[in-house]
Amino acid sequence: MDKHKIMVIDDEKIVGDMAKLSLEQEGYEVETFLNAEPALARLKEQTFNVVVTDYKMKGIDGMEVLRTVKREYPKTTVIMITAFANLDAAIEALRGDVHDFFPKPVKIRELKESIKRALQAA
Amino acid sequence: MKQAANNIQAFLSSLLRRIVPRRAEEGPAEFRAVFEQFKEVLASNNHALETITDMGEKLGGEYLFDIVYVINAHGRLKSDMEASLLAFDGLTQRRYPSLRHVFGHIDGLISGALAEAPDGIIRPVLFLEDIPWGAEREVGGKIAHLAELRNQLHLRVPDAFVLTTAAFDAFMKSNGLDRYRAQIRQDSPPQNELLRELRERILTGTIPPAISSELQRALKRIVGPRGKAFLAVRSSAPDEDGAHSFAGQFRTVLNVPPDVKAVEQAYREVLASLYYEKAISYQTQTGYDIGAMKMAVGCMIMAEAAASGVLYSTAPDGERDIMTISAVWGLGEAVVEGRTEADLYVVRKAKAPLLISTVPGAKKSMIIADAEGGVKELDTPEGLRDKPCLTSEQAAALAGLAMTIERYFGVPQDMEWSLDAAGTFTILQARPLGVGTHDDNAASANGAVPSDDATSFYPVIIRDRGTVVQRGAGAGMVFIARTPEDIKAVPRGAILVAPNDSSLMVTAMTSVSAIITERGTVTSHMAALCRELKVPTIVNLTKATELLEQGQVITLVAGEDDRSMIYRGAFRELLAQAARDGQRMENVYEFRRKRYLLRYISPLHLVDPLMDEFTPERCRTLHDILRFMHEKSVAELVLRARGSGSRMSRQAAVVRLELPVPAGLVVMDLGGGLSRQGTERKVTFDQIASIPFKALVRGMIHPGAWQAEAVAMMAQDFISSMMRMPDITAATDSTAGYNVAVISRDYMNMSIRFGYHYNMIDCFCSENARNNHIYFRFAGGATDLTKRSRRLELIAKILKEYGFNIKIKGDLLIARLAGLDRAAMETVLDQTGRLIAYARQLDAALHDDRAIDRYAHAFLNGTYEL
Repeated sequence: MDKHKIMVIDDEKIVGDMAKLSLEQEGYEVETFLNAEPALARLKEQTFNVVVTDYKMKGIDGMEVLRTVKREYPKTTVIMITAFANLDAAIEALRGDVHDFFPKPVKIRELKESIKRALQAA
Repeated sequence: MKQAANNIQAFLSSLLRRIVPRRAEEGPAEFRAVFEQFKEVLASNNHALETITDMGEKLGGEYLFDIVYVINAHGRLKSDMEASLLAFDGLTQRRYPSLRHVFGHIDGLISGALAEAPDGIIRPVLFLEDIPWGAEREVGGKIAHLAELRNQLHLRVPDAFVLTTAAFDAFMKSNGLDRYRAQIRQDSPPQNELLRELRERILTGTIPPAISSELQRALKRIVGPRGKAFLAVRSSAPDEDGAHSFAGQFRTVLNVPPDVKAVEQAYREVLASLYYEKAISYQTQTGYDIGAMKMAVGCMIMAEAAASGVLYSTAPDGERDIMTISAVWGLGEAVVEGRTEADLYVVRKAKAPLLISTVPGAKKSMIIADAEGGVKELDTPEGLRDKPCLTSEQAAALAGLAMTIERYFGVPQDMEWSLDAAGTFTILQARPLGVGTHDDNAASANGAVPSDDATSFYPVIIRDRGTVVQRGAGAGMVFIARTPEDIKAVPRGAILVAPNDSSLMVTAMTSVSAIITERGTVTSHMAALCRELKVPTIVNLTKATELLEQGQVITLVAGEDDRSMIYRGAFRELLAQAARDGQRMENVYEFRRKRYLLRYISPLHLVDPLMDEFTPERCRTLHDILRFMHEKSVAELVLRARGSGSRMSRQAAVVRLELPVPAGLVVMDLGGGLSRQGTERKVTFDQIASIPFKALVRGMIHPGAWQAEAVAMMAQDFISSMMRMPDITAATDSTAGYNVAVISRDYMNMSIRFGYHYNMIDCFCSENARNNHIYFRFAGGATDLTKRSRRLELIAKILKEYGFNIKIKGDLLIARLAGLDRAAMETVLDQTGRLIAYARQLDAALHDDRAIDRYAHAFLNGTYEL
């Protein structure tokens, strides 16, 4: 059976590096991107089960990623993480049909569980 | 006779001053203000410590974090620290101005670590004496350590200067080599062809003229009056986390003549070695980003070496009591590169280090400096082969140096040394010894609790009890430590089990596999240390010392959410898995880089406030500064309470405490210490509301503890006591009010004098264990000197059983116990109260040394008859 594919988009290298290492431990295949443009381009070539994206990024931001993914790849789950957690952002994302929303610093175990739940639901 | 009386009076006064030094006298209102300031310092300290704990947790590897978190947390921490410093300055009346400077310096280092580029311009060439503490990123670990040995410890190290990472930057830029580095960062793994080309370009590159002229000046300065000197040109890489030593990875060029061209060539060779192919395998193993690394290069005067070698300040198998020294004739390269059989010396560590064995080596060859430059290997002359390189005095002296260094850095050291013809030692290098802190006996960071069926062979003794401070797994023999002496005796690889947590445990932390305490919190000093050193730790596991047996082999697995298991036996598979899981996050370079700033925040170096090294200058981290402030605040409180006491008693702003025993105590209530109606001038035991004071007094009035009749003094005791009789006709100001207690609900400070000895107890006993302390001073005695010191020994013996840290100076005893929770504290106070009562008349009874044990034993068993 093919491994599940996770995409991580965050403009800070450390987030992608740490996420990649932890999620690979769970047996997932992980690709990381420092911004959304190449990430969205990649989505055209390859299907991903889950996209974990930062909320606030320069250029294409997390909400736009969310909208694009929901429109083009409805089977792909989106999880949002953000350093600027506030109620408005959360509501906005939830309305956009995000699967889960985590303020940073994100407890890795909780992220893993959220991904697991998303994959089971799919 | 009058003269004698005056002398006695003077003697008594000086004795009093030593135990209770006088301060400008303050009344009750002033002392209340002081007490409030004290609580303010505690409050902002606690805030700061909580932020430190939070940072330790979020940066521990279990959270995805980014720079925004780090910047915000640092901001919070900085304002907490500033609030603390302000309150502290107020309380101590600005007695420690250097503390602010130290804070500024450390905070600057943190900001530097946060920023991508360091603040300010660093000079391309720096001499050791000009290198400030904390400059590893500019001068590399090797040179930074050497600078510390020279500048802080004033040890003999070679004269040296360093071409800093600024020089590296300038060299790379002016030769257009930055694109190679960028390419290396992108390719994974970097291509050998690319590396080869880069090395070529470095070896043939031009040194920028500005650097060249700095180098010229430096050479002139270092050769100086010597006339002739040769240099060792060595790499000094900024090992960002100190965990990896790059041992043997990069080039060293020895015996370089002090001319610019030769040194520049050596410099290029060392720089090029950063890009050796073996660097790649190192990179993959340890996650270093070779393309991002910079290299500093040290130029050190070649020490004239009659003999040289290596020293491990702890035996390679971890035995902490002994150290091993290898020695050869000539240069130490012969040892470091394993080229000849060296002498081996084993020295026992002690105040006076003792050589316990010498195993002479064959020493067939030796390496010496060639007069023209470079080094050569030749056969050791016949006469020298069988001769030991070091005499036993020399081995002991070298061991003494090593112990100083080990004590300073707090971890075992791997040192290179040389000895000149005049018999003086020079330390060439000192770095942390990679003693398997966590080898196959322990593993850190990710103790995953396995499923039940996997553990059928290993019975579970304890499950999910206590609070996990640091995850991980460890196995070993249980060692129960109740006193500071016990902590020092913990064998390597043991699992340390103790009733209370204590920052004194830091001395054992690099040796043990895991720590379990019956009490404690995740925010204590000890907890911060366990997290920093990644020692698997569980606190608050009640009755651990009863559930586990001394010497029993167990495996501890501490997991997430306070899940934990303790198995009987050594469950090796579990440890191996945890080790594998734990290592990985450390290999993420960016993670290590961000964590780097914790090194200026969390580690604790100021451990024992009774030691003389408790000064602002010894603070290396924010944690140290907090610790310093706490201890000095307590000291300040004690001092000021004393001053207030005598004035208050003269002003009659106190009430008498009526007790079943004639303690003669008067009490001053700061607030919440007494519950009484109106303004009566007398209170009884039941009206005491102060928690610590009540517990202490309860002990003092414990049936039997207070001996009603004085023990019959023998004839010579009587004469001794006569000689020390105070002149009762003198004005009684200085001796009046000696039995005064200043109290509040959580606090007490009591000075109490019986006959010729003085006790002073200061205690803060609140809901927050971290804030709590007991400080106890005892001095004097009626009889001759021997019996007086026996009494001190007796008191010390008993107090140690309760976990006190003791210091004795002449006939003054100081005892300290901190970090206990309220309930534990009340028990100790009760016992201390009984001890104060008990010890009153013991003087004359301690006829010989055996009596000490007898009476200590009796006391600890609750028997108080004499």
